Amino acid sequence: MNRPASETSSAPAPSFYLPDFCATQSVLAVVLIAELVAIVLTLAREELRHGFWIDLARTSLFLLWISLSSATVMCYSRPALARMSVQRASAVSLALLITVTLIISEVTFWLGQRWFGGLQSSVGSLFPANHLTFLLRNLVIAFIVSALALRYFYIAHEWRRTVESRARLRIDALQARIRPHFLFNSMNTIASLTRSNPELAEEAVEDLADLFRANLRETRIQIPLKEELEVARLYQRIEELRLGPRLKVKWNVQALPMETLVPSLVVQPLLENAIYHGIEPLPDGGTVTISGARNGDSLELAISNPVRQEPSGNTHSGNRIALDNIRERLELAYHGRARLDIDDRGGEYVVRLTFPLKQSALDAAQ
Amino acid sequence: MRILIVDDEPPARERMRRLLEDIASCELVGEAGNGAEAIALAGRVGPDVVLMDIRMPGMDGVEAARHLGQLDEPPAVIFVTAYDEYALRAFDTHAVGYLLKPVRREKLADTLARATRLTRPQLAAIAAAAQPRQRRTHLSVRSRGELRLIPIEEVLYFIADQKYVTVRHHSGEDLIEESLKSLEEEFDPDFLRIHRNSLVAVRQIASIERSSEGQYTVRMRGLDVDLPVSRRLATEVLRRFRG
Repeated sequence: MNRPASETSSAPAPSFYLPDFCATQSVLAVVLIAELVAIVLTLAREELRHGFWIDLARTSLFLLWISLSSATVMCYSRPALARMSVQRASAVSLALLITVTLIISEVTFWLGQRWFGGLQSSVGSLFPANHLTFLLRNLVIAFIVSALALRYFYIAHEWRRTVESRARLRIDALQARIRPHFLFNSMNTIASLTRSNPELAEEAVEDLADLFRANLRETRIQIPLKEELEVARLYQRIEELRLGPRLKVKWNVQALPMETLVPSLVVQPLLENAIYHGIEPLPDGGTVTISGARNGDSLELAISNPVRQEPSGNTHSGNRIALDNIRERLELAYHGRARLDIDDRGGEYVVRLTFPLKQSALDAAQ
Repeated sequence: MRILIVDDEPPARERMRRLLEDIASCELVGEAGNGAEAIALAGRVGPDVVLMDIRMPGMDGVEAARHLGQLDEPPAVIFVTAYDEYALRAFDTHAVGYLLKPVRREKLADTLARATRLTRPQLAAIAAAAQPRQRRTHLSVRSRGELRLIPIEEVLYFIADQKYVTVRHHSGEDLIEESLKSLEEEFDPDFLRIHRNSLVAVRQIASIERSSEGQYTVRMRGLDVDLPVSRRLATEVLRRFRG
């Protein structure tokens, strides 16, 4: 099937549920559907006029005309349909498919009248005799088959999307967890401390173990804020051993309701980002500030770090993954009622988390 | 063997020091916390081998190694890293010795025994592979056997003559053995070519003047020098200065 070259890859949004009917695979599917419907219609017929195979061939020919024309129409209207809402696109598709059926039925009837009008030969009986019944029957069948097909495409698409997004979330979560850089440097610090300060080394191993346990937890669960902040403190203690006086962390969270439930692993990755991108590149180090406030029904947490004034050529990437992952998990937990904002003006990089207080307790209770 | 340890983390330096104590032929001659310190120290103590961490604040290990390569008698450099995908791949490609943290004693002894000097092309290739898109923070100039670092922010302009490039900076002038073309590529867009033989720091341009004959000249901040702008480049220079 010829398709407009420019529209094939670029125009339709990838998330649209109807497949690209210009693609060979879809055309095959359409032909298959048409043939199956033809078999059903032929089988359901009480008395066969010319025997099963002739009747099947006749019905197939007619249905292939309809289905391939429908595929062509859908192929060309897909870019426009993709811009509509699902309901609207479905309604329009249905209307288009019924119109195609109507036109082809009408043409078939007309051809039959025109060429074989008076003849009651075997050829003539290939064409329908009763105009109105013929059209009406075809329209109802087209409506039912199209509606079923659309529904099938919709469900198949939704299913594929769920599978994909679940897989992506899992990968993101893995990537957002402990950076290898941190792991190996911590191991090195512990190796160093085992001789010079065995007690400190012991503590560091314990902290590292707890931190890993927290990171291996299912990320969808909610934990008391107190525990979440404790995980961040574990991380801080390990980094302090490594960076020495270069790292200072200021906590300003006394005013927070410590028992409230929050999604796990939202604060520690932000502290990790602040240290990795903010403190480590500074020869003299700096201070990370973690502050929190209760604001009516919502809780606000802000993590800020100084930013090195980089010459424009050197760019750091990589903290996006952690931020995107937290954003996605907040979205899953709060459905649009939580926010993650970034403010990097004036030499400070501030990540601000805002999420509803009451709702988090409610969700957990359910 | 005289060894210099370069790492920004005190526990990492301490561990390396202790490992070296157990290797008979080694003598520790100094410790530095970042690349710039390492270069200053290397000039004074003249190590045979530098154990160089990669990720450090200020100047990182890869850049420091490049500057050290400018010395007449450059030390051998062994990179030490916790985890650095790109750098490791570059080291493997160019057969450069490296150690992974936490470092094992046997591996350290073995790598020290095989330590060799890196050539300048080798160092440049490693830098390009390990840190694409990243440019040096300093230029280095050799003077009386030692290296002096010039921060890029302090550079006003580069002028090329027959063989050398003169770099004019806040505290004077120096000759460097680099081509104007490679400097232009590395420091784009902060530096702008205004003439076949000159490259200026965009942020240090004070004014652009036009003579009655239509010849443009650039005046740099705090300097009483007019640098000619070639006719071919005048439009671009004006656009960047105003833009």
